[in-house]
Amino acid sequence: MSQWVFKGLATGIRTTAYPGGEERGKGVTPGRPLGGVFGQDAERIASRCPSQALTAVGGEVTVDETRCIHCYRCAREGAVGLAWKNDYEWARATGTARILGKPFERSLHIIVVDAGDCGACLNEVKQLNNPYYNMHRLGFFVTPTPRHADILLVVGAVTDHMKDALRKVHDAMPTPKRVVAVGACALSGGAFAGSFACTPVSSLFPVDVEVPGNPPPPLAILHGLLLAAGRR
Amino acid sequence: MIAQYALAVFFVACAVGIAWSSAPGAARGGAIVAWMGCIGAVALLVAGAAGLGGAAFSVSLWQVPAAASLVVGVDPISAVFLLVTGIVLLPASLYGASELRDGALRGRERPFSAMLLGLYASIALVVIAQDALLLLIAWEAMSILSYLLVADGGDGGDRAGAGFLLLSMGEAGFLAVALAFAILGVHAGSLDFAAMRGAAAGLSPELRWSVFLLGFLGFGVKAGIVPLNSWLPPAYEAAPRAFAPVLAGATLNLGLYGILRLNADLAPPAQAAIGLVALSLGAISALIGILYATIDDDLKAMLAHSSIENTGIVVTGIGSGMVFLAAGHRALAAIAFVAALYHLVNHSVYKSLLFMGVGAVESGTGTREMDRLGGLARGMPLTALAFLVGALSICALPPFCGFASEWLTLQTLLRAAELESTGAKLVFALAGAALALAAALAVTCFVKAFAMTFLGLRRDGEGYARSTESPARRLVPMAILAILCVVLGVLPPFVISALDGASRHLTTVAGSDVLVPPFFSDAPAHGDLPAGFVSEFHDLGAQTGDGLVPGRGLVVLHRGGESNPVVFAMSMSYTAPVLLLLLLVAAIVVRFGLARGRSVVRRERWAGGVRRLLPEMTYTGTGFSNPVRVIFDSVFRPTTVEDTRETVAEHFREAIRREKERVHLADRVVFRPVGRASLALARMLALMHHGKINAYVTYAFFALLVALVTMGTT
Amino acid sequence: MKAVDAATIKEAIEARWPGQASCTFDVSLRLNLARCERASLAGLCREIFREWGFAFAGLVVEEASAGWDLRYMFYGGAAEGWLHVLTSAPFDDAVVPSVAIAGVPAADWDEREAEDMYGVHFEGHPRLGDFILHDDAWQEGVMPMRRAFDAQAALRNRRPAEDWHPRRVVHEPGAFVMPVGPKFSGITESAHFLLETVGEDVIRTWTRLFYKWRAIEKLAEGRLFHDALAIAERFAATTAFAHGLAYCRAVESIARVDVPPRARLLRVFMAEIERLRHHAGSVQEICESTALAVANAQAGMLEEEMLRICGALCGHRYLFGLLRPGGMLCDLSGDACRRALEDSRRVLERMDKLERMLRISSSFLDRIEEVGFISPATAKLYSLLGPVARASGLARDLRREQPYSGYESTRFEVAREEEGDGYARLRVLFFEARQSLGIMEQALAALEDGPVHASFSPGAGAALGWVEAPRGGTFHWVRLNDEGRVARYHVVTPSFVNWHSFHLAAEKFAFQDFPIILATFDLSVAENDR
Repeated sequence: MSQWVFKGLATGIRTTAYPGGEERGKGVTPGRPLGGVFGQDAERIASRCPSQALTAVGGEVTVDETRCIHCYRCAREGAVGLAWKNDYEWARATGTARILGKPFERSLHIIVVDAGDCGACLNEVKQLNNPYYNMHRLGFFVTPTPRHADILLVVGAVTDHMKDALRKVHDAMPTPKRVVAVGACALSGGAFAGSFACTPVSSLFPVDVEVPGNPPPPLAILHGLLLAAGRR
Repeated sequence: MIAQYALAVFFVACAVGIAWSSAPGAARGGAIVAWMGCIGAVALLVAGAAGLGGAAFSVSLWQVPAAASLVVGVDPISAVFLLVTGIVLLPASLYGASELRDGALRGRERPFSAMLLGLYASIALVVIAQDALLLLIAWEAMSILSYLLVADGGDGGDRAGAGFLLLSMGEAGFLAVALAFAILGVHAGSLDFAAMRGAAAGLSPELRWSVFLLGFLGFGVKAGIVPLNSWLPPAYEAAPRAFAPVLAGATLNLGLYGILRLNADLAPPAQAAIGLVALSLGAISALIGILYATIDDDLKAMLAHSSIENTGIVVTGIGSGMVFLAAGHRALAAIAFVAALYHLVNHSVYKSLLFMGVGAVESGTGTREMDRLGGLARGMPLTALAFLVGALSICALPPFCGFASEWLTLQTLLRAAELESTGAKLVFALAGAALALAAALAVTCFVKAFAMTFLGLRRDGEGYARSTESPARRLVPMAILAILCVVLGVLPPFVISALDGASRHLTTVAGSDVLVPPFFSDAPAHGDLPAGFVSEFHDLGAQTGDGLVPGRGLVVLHRGGESNPVVFAMSMSYTAPVLLLLLLVAAIVVRFGLARGRSVVRRERWAGGVRRLLPEMTYTGTGFSNPVRVIFDSVFRPTTVEDTRETVAEHFREAIRREKERVHLADRVVFRPVGRASLALARMLALMHHGKINAYVTYAFFALLVALVTMGTT
Repeated sequence: MKAVDAATIKEAIEARWPGQASCTFDVSLRLNLARCERASLAGLCREIFREWGFAFAGLVVEEASAGWDLRYMFYGGAAEGWLHVLTSAPFDDAVVPSVAIAGVPAADWDEREAEDMYGVHFEGHPRLGDFILHDDAWQEGVMPMRRAFDAQAALRNRRPAEDWHPRRVVHEPGAFVMPVGPKFSGITESAHFLLETVGEDVIRTWTRLFYKWRAIEKLAEGRLFHDALAIAERFAATTAFAHGLAYCRAVESIARVDVPPRARLLRVFMAEIERLRHHAGSVQEICESTALAVANAQAGMLEEEMLRICGALCGHRYLFGLLRPGGMLCDLSGDACRRALEDSRRVLERMDKLERMLRISSSFLDRIEEVGFISPATAKLYSLLGPVARASGLARDLRREQPYSGYESTRFEVAREEEGDGYARLRVLFFEARQSLGIMEQALAALEDGPVHASFSPGAGAALGWVEAPRGGTFHWVRLNDEGRVARYHVVTPSFVNWHSFHLAAEKFAFQDFPIILATFDLSVAENDR
């Protein structure tokens, strides 16, 4: 058994500097598209998007981040395309969000509910527990029971079969509680927006923090949690 | 005098009741039992209390020509049992009356009430008999009446079989007991207890052993000691609801009374080995009893097995008392007997309470099986509360009564350090371990019983529509017993002082002298206690409550000898009010401090998000106790009755059927082999009965020859 | 087991079932198409599956003009090729004999799905209903995949069964059913399990999936073929590239377009880097389930590093946005690929070290050895796929037997273990990771400059695209109409096939082994539910 102890000690500290500093590693984020002015090409560029995230109004292309499914067609399909920004702090608190309160700033219990996700968002949430991100150092813990949870983190477009279960989780949580919706599917249905069996989380109960992306990288999810905790 | 008058009232009440039931008239059986039973019970209480107060008497009733005189009397041991019986019979009569009123025994209430009152009379007679003949007569009456009450009025279970087993094993025990009394009587020259007591010192070791074995095992049948307990679970299961509390609370005690009377009083052991045998059998009974109780899913059968456990604990106490007596440590023996008697009192109270609770549940829902019950606390909250009090008491949790007696029993076993023989110490240690394990299993067992019956989801459909709270006439007796559970638990010094007479009778040392030091006076009443002790405990506040509670004090103090200066102390009388106070303070702090301004919201229970949590998705009693089944598999040794798998097209599993059957350890190890051997012997002997006249004539001839030769040679 | 060859199947079938079955052979696709009457369907499928040793890929139901077209897809090794059995049933008599009962247990779930989605009745199947559309959420007869399905009306008029009870097979006094999920544990996918038990150990497991059913097959219908790729990539995004590749291959097969060599090799490279990343994640799951904390952290680091390598290489951690029918959406430079290869090699070295340490951790091995056992016979009968099958002796790999997209010339070994328990599956994962790196090296070595996309305009047609995804073979059936829109899209995923056998591995075990068995199978609920 001692081999593991030495192995762990020998590996050292690999945790990211975020949120104290900036994470500069490569491949930590897929980036997000930036809107821009394209004149005549705007319509054509906007029509590339399979999930209606781009709207062209008067030569300008605007991006609805909650719909972007990271297919990169707006950037790669054709000679002219949108530019992408490689940042990760793109979570947003919706207008209804109120900060949880000082006691929760450094001790937050999260219940993660998979309401129909493809696996990628859930996997990114799981990465928050690996040594590179280690959300425990920020006081964020995952709990399997809603009775102890402060934050409901939903991934995935809410399927018809999971509506009841998600509602039950939300009902079973004591106040104060906040809802963090992670991923384009949770926010708008994402790639599955037209399916009769899917619906965004906001149709069930108000969402307090939105983390767009498909999937949002762990750092973006962390940003969303920090927003919910009131530390950003 | 009071005792005599009280007993007279009691017997008159019983006689009136029997006559009333037999006479044609408008009164219903329930009313008869209620009135006469309660009068009689109160009379018994008075008699018992008076007897404990020191008014012993002995009256010769009738001189049976050429045999013996029938003597009745109340000495301290009888007084304790009269008191216990009275305590139990009062609520039990009310409860039985309510059951009869509900028509549980359609049409046969009046014979039932007559037999019940007759049983009351015979129980009292057994306890006050001061000579062997009267005791045996009363014993027989009690046996036959219990058989009639179980077999004739029973509901559920195999009534005829259970009754037969009860009677046959009871009679076997009776024969053994009669033989034991015969030996004592021949040795003493008279059947009087007084005479036997006097002549006991002259018994030879062989005779002592025979008396012990015959008496212990003979009375042990009635008490339910393993391996003689086969009759107990079926009989308790089959016993009608109106009778079960009496069966468990009053008649079971008679077996223990017999053991105490015969083996500790009339023929006290001179060797420690006798006591060790009793001790071991007691510990084994406790363990086996609770093991079978834990895995049983029928409430009544579970309580029956649990009675075996509690009998085992009492017998352990008696056994250790016998060992200490034989070794000369009379103070320790006093503690042991006090513990045993205390546990007997407690057991009668909470076991009757539990049986009443089970009866109420059965009346309300129509079933006794834990796997089909559940969620009753909502419909019957008071019944649930009463059952909870009984369950907590039997789990020996403070501040209820079971704690004090079990604590004392375990402390007694620890006192084995005072003995010299290593073998005895080993047996004590093993018995202590067995009792500790039994205590843990008892908690498991009753957590399961309470939770599966009253908590969780309702399981069975139809019976539940009717399950409303039990009527007041059933709740009142349960409340009486529940309150008693608390009182007996909170005032152990008082109870111990009440048992002084019995312990002095058996060991010449009063229990409270050794256990309850008089902290309220400066001069210690007993020379054993150094003054330093008294002042120390005085400073600790043991003097609080002086004058408030009856008895000698608030602390039960248990010291080792000079070589072993250890002290064990407990004060339930102190703890209980402090506990209540703390709970009150906590409630106030929470209500007006922490939770102020917040509201409690009730939501659906969390079950992982399933659409509907159905009753079959919750734990059953079998599932809860399955780990015990698996761990103790070598004790239970289940045999597989069925283990089949059915599939459709090799791929779709249709059914997996599994069933196991368990034969009780005692039956498997003792009775079935003995039965098989007897049958084999009988078959061999049956070879003689082939029907040929010529052979029979030859047999007669040879018998005659043998007789002539024998007569000739003597 | 008879030996058959793709070329001789036609004679064999027409000889056995004269007049009832006819067969055509497409040499270029190595595909035998056998059309048969409903009456001989069961016998034919049984012969193919049991006697000739084919594996069952899946069942596609399509709504044709006159009735239902059913296509049972079987595949063998390189010599046998593909064998599709086609039959049809008219709309007013939509009854087909059940093949699952007649000797092909692997078709069990496919038939149940077809019944739920289309309303085709499979005669003799004892478990139809309550599969995708749970009985306590929907009434019978909803049939969402039919063209006439009106979603809004169905949602308005739904009547869930009020008296739903879990199916139970254990008849033992005191038996009850322990529900697990759909929300359970810490961070897990939503799935429902009903464990029949008598308290100490689990006797029987019922898996109740499809809580995450998003109806992607219905969603894809009517989409332009290029837009439907987004759905194919994203319905099970932990193996997004493999699924996207299978979809692209199906479309390219319809259009009969040749993908340029550079694109083919880049596709191989990306598929293998995805496999390496996925297996690192699987190892992390297994270590987490056994609560070996340091190993869990080490494996978690490896997975995160692989994700970062993928992200640095192509922009997206899960390899979205690389594929396009006809080739790649964007080119990747050889240098970038070489950097990614070197980084992956370092990750693999650490993975090897981790494996060596795990193999001598007795407490870890105690928990995964002899746990979750799948016998070789079961693997064959259920046509299991991927590492699960290879750990039970079924060493089948589509890259070897039905090679595609550049795998024709790669050299690698197919993992094979015999024990069929959790430890065998773990060993297979490590072995395959090593092989993946080797394939990546070969692909990069053969990479030459050139275009990465061949444009085309597809006409109507239908084809099957298959890929050996990290969890096993995945089969995407695509039918396009003349406008280039999807008319039918059916996906059979390795998780769908392997989940079918999960209950056999999860029988007669103690409660605490359940998460471990789940982790060693490493199945995706999203992949199964679609």
